Amino acid sequence: MLQEAQTVASGISGAHIAEAAKYIAAGLCMGIGAIGPAIGEGLAAAHALDGMARQPEMQGALLRTMVLGQAISETTGIYSLLIAIVLLFVI
Amino acid sequence: MGEIFRQLSGLLEHLGEKRIAVVHLFGAEIRFDVMAILMSWVVIILLVLLALWLRRGLRRPVEEKPTRTQAALDGLIDLLKTQLADNFASERLAIMMFPFISTLFLYVLLCNWLGVFPYMMSPTQDINVTFGLALMVAVMSHVLAARFNGVRKWLKSFVEPYPFMLPINLVGVIANPLSHAFRLFGNILAGTILVTVIMVKFAPIFIPPVLNIFFGLFFGGIQAFVFAILAVAYINVAVEG
Repeated sequence: MLQEAQTVASGISGAHIAEAAKYIAAGLCMGIGAIGPAIGEGLAAAHALDGMARQPEMQGALLRTMVLGQAISETTGIYSLLIAIVLLFVI
Repeated sequence: MGEIFRQLSGLLEHLGEKRIAVVHLFGAEIRFDVMAILMSWVVIILLVLLALWLRRGLRRPVEEKPTRTQAALDGLIDLLKTQLADNFASERLAIMMFPFISTLFLYVLLCNWLGVFPYMMSPTQDINVTFGLALMVAVMSHVLAARFNGVRKWLKSFVEPYPFMLPINLVGVIANPLSHAFRLFGNILAGTILVTVIMVKFAPIFIPPVLNIFFGLFFGGIQAFVFAILAVAYINVAVEG
């Protein structure tokens, strides 16, 4: 058993480890990076909904501002996405 | 089924590939992506043809009963104008910026929607295209700020509220177009990659059209709207101070 594992392990080179690390890093980058924007966008939508329920006549302006704020808070998520894409396809 | 997968797997290999052309001009080497430029031209031609086709429905003397197209266009332009007037601080700026912002919106919208069709690519999934658009908006905002408030006040806005804030303000000048460009590029590229990967790896039939509608049409529309609204916000902030 131990011998078998040793023969398998001796076949793994540095390139393989780098390849594996690339995918793990891309997954971690996207998984952790998506938490912040998701919470932020959810908060924005929740408060916009609160405002709309209180003042339905303000719906247009609230919706516009909400989408704008969500787009801005999404930026960090987009940055982590770009890094993940660079990790996967470029490096 | 296996045959379909085999044919599609070629798509995945060419996913990040670009057809780069190199031009030597005045001793400088210029590189560009042929596909992105070709698709941009397709969008421009589509926009011009659409405008010419819609113009045929208009009647020259305004007093006559308007045609159906004319009424619809009137409504659309009124809607865009009121939206812009709400967002801009001054009426004059809104009227001045109306052609620019609406063209930007239509161009980005068609660019995003072009990627839905087979053998077509969204020009906006090339970083150079989105960066060009964002740079245009940034330069426009600074030029307008200098023109509306005077060059002195525009220069003074960099050292406000305190002079030691100058580096932070300068970073803001660079970071705004950067995030503006990356947002559009990242969203469109992510949609394309997701649809292609799912089409090649999991389900070549039924599911890709649904995903294409969601990512291409819905997200493309939202991102075009966001791009235009953010351009309005940047210009407004620059002019208002």
